[in-house]
Amino acid sequence: MNANELEVFREDKPFAAVRGVQERGARSKRSAANKPSILVVDDQDIIADSLLDILNGAGFRAVVAYDGASALRLAELAQPDYLLTDVVMPGMNGVELAIAIRNKYPATKIVLFSGQVGISDILLQGKHQGYEFELIAKPIHPDKLIDRLKGIQGR
Amino acid sequence: MPADMLPSVMDPESLLSAIVDSSDDAIISRDLNGIITSWNAAACRIFGYAAEEIVGQSILRLIPDDLHPEQAVILAKIRAGERIDHCETTRRRKDGNLIGVSVTISPVRDRAGRIVGASKIARDISERRRREESRSHLAAIVDSSDDAIVSKDLNGIITSWNAGAYRVFGYTAEEIVGQSILRLIPDELYPEEAMILEKLRAGERIDHYETTRRRKDGNLIEVSVTISPIRDDAGRVIGASKIARDISERKETERRIIQSEKFAATGRMAATVAHEINNPLESVMNLVYLARKQSSPRGKAFAYLQLAEKELERVSHLARQTLGYYRETGSPVKAMLHELLRDVLKVYESKLRSGGIAVDCQFHDRRPIMVSRGEVLQVFSNVIANAVDAMPTGGKLQIQTRETTSTQGEGVQVTIRDSGTGIPREYLDRIFEPFFTTKGNLGTGIGLWVSRQLIEKRGGRLSVESGTEEISRGTVMSIFLPFVPTTPEAGEND
Repeated sequence: MNANELEVFREDKPFAAVRGVQERGARSKRSAANKPSILVVDDQDIIADSLLDILNGAGFRAVVAYDGASALRLAELAQPDYLLTDVVMPGMNGVELAIAIRNKYPATKIVLFSGQVGISDILLQGKHQGYEFELIAKPIHPDKLIDRLKGIQGR
Repeated sequence: MPADMLPSVMDPESLLSAIVDSSDDAIISRDLNGIITSWNAAACRIFGYAAEEIVGQSILRLIPDDLHPEQAVILAKIRAGERIDHCETTRRRKDGNLIGVSVTISPVRDRAGRIVGASKIARDISERRRREESRSHLAAIVDSSDDAIVSKDLNGIITSWNAGAYRVFGYTAEEIVGQSILRLIPDELYPEEAMILEKLRAGERIDHYETTRRRKDGNLIEVSVTISPIRDDAGRVIGASKIARDISERKETERRIIQSEKFAATGRMAATVAHEINNPLESVMNLVYLARKQSSPRGKAFAYLQLAEKELERVSHLARQTLGYYRETGSPVKAMLHELLRDVLKVYESKLRSGGIAVDCQFHDRRPIMVSRGEVLQVFSNVIANAVDAMPTGGKLQIQTRETTSTQGEGVQVTIRDSGTGIPREYLDRIFEPFFTTKGNLGTGIGLWVSRQLIEKRGGRLSVESGTEEISRGTVMSIFLPFVPTTPEAGEND
């Protein structure tokens, strides 16, 4: 992994903070340019990393972050077409991240992704500020996740 | 006794005088002007005057003012030689207190047979009156009691029956007095009556015993009974009094409380478990998926992983349904039910279109309702998914909402009607049972079970009607949600 430029994104986990960015450069520009980019955010490494591989194999260009703040900085680099983020995370939660991304990159299609119960309060906070996002419940079969993502219309 | 041993003092007059003095009743004589001429010891006890105080005084001193006219009537009768027997009236004691007396007044004649006065025997009946009053007071209490108060003899034959018993059991006193108490007892509880009678014969009392009884209309009610032995003056048990309180309502409340406590406990457990299960499941599902993608489609590993994935899907589905939204009671929000229905329909849009299912919506709910959005979405989603599954060859899905008033108060009624295969009658009672499914391996048997719990938890109702005959084929699911949740647990507002 070419991690030089990635260390800034997460100090405690420099090599793990973002994966997939290098693939933009490594792949041929021709194929990469046609694929939609997706930023996957989950504080559970296994989920984030496995989704990265799954989505890359399904016609997306995926990048991964393991916390909200890193994701926000990564979004500036990647300017993703999609954001798929966990809701309950230490630090910045998924709804806060989604709101920040929506304000900066209104074209990004946003999907929240949660296996946690009792997140209605977090979702409600977003709603009170006038933000509502699509929510997918974990666990979901990868094929269904891919279908859902492809079925989402832009704003 | 030999005559010579009779005390010499015992001449007939002294004997009479001794009898008069030892009488428990007041014995008084007076002349025709109403002046008292003699006064015995009992008169002294009953009226409080000593003989010295009252002899020579008017009899009116003993008579309450309002009864003075009575005296004229009595005197007239005496003069006419009539006797007055056991007349109950009121007299005044020296201390001013009024007492109830039963008086017998007879004319007193001189040797020539002329009436010269009257003798009056007065018996204090205040105590008897008090007893009578307290008895009628007790009878009034018994009759006005909400509880059934019944007495029976030791053979179990009913001997008395109050108004409360009529209300609780439905039999009038005329119908049931003289009948066996077993008429009130469900057949399977007959042995209980034998046990009760045995205890009563032994003089034991049975306190607040909760059991079931049968009303005249055949319905069973839950009662709390207290049964005490009734004894005669000699202390022998001759029967029993039974006080039965209808506790059906209290039992129902208890059941509801227990149920809502169960919900709360299940909810807490679900919340704890959900996070620990859903995330690893997501990881494992992703990893198995990746492993399958990496393996050769012709190899055995591929087939194994494919099976593993299918099984994981089933577990995931279960986990999502039972744990996913389960406890999203966090803060109920104001929501328009038709908007939530539209949201769910949007999710099923492509499935409905590709399945050849026409959707007809008539939304007439105008006021928002306090609900947990996630829960209601889950219920609508379960019901609509079932409707879609019931119409594999296409059909019509009709969804209606309207505001209505039911026994649970004001609320919104949602009916979701499909033209599908219908549910066989023998399954109708079972579809809300956990893990009951008619969809074979495709179903989890969780959806409607959870749905009903979620709805009832908010004081609503989820019911089903279905037909499998040609003319009435299809299923109607009715969901009623009150504007104000009625269960204790659902009191929180946002």
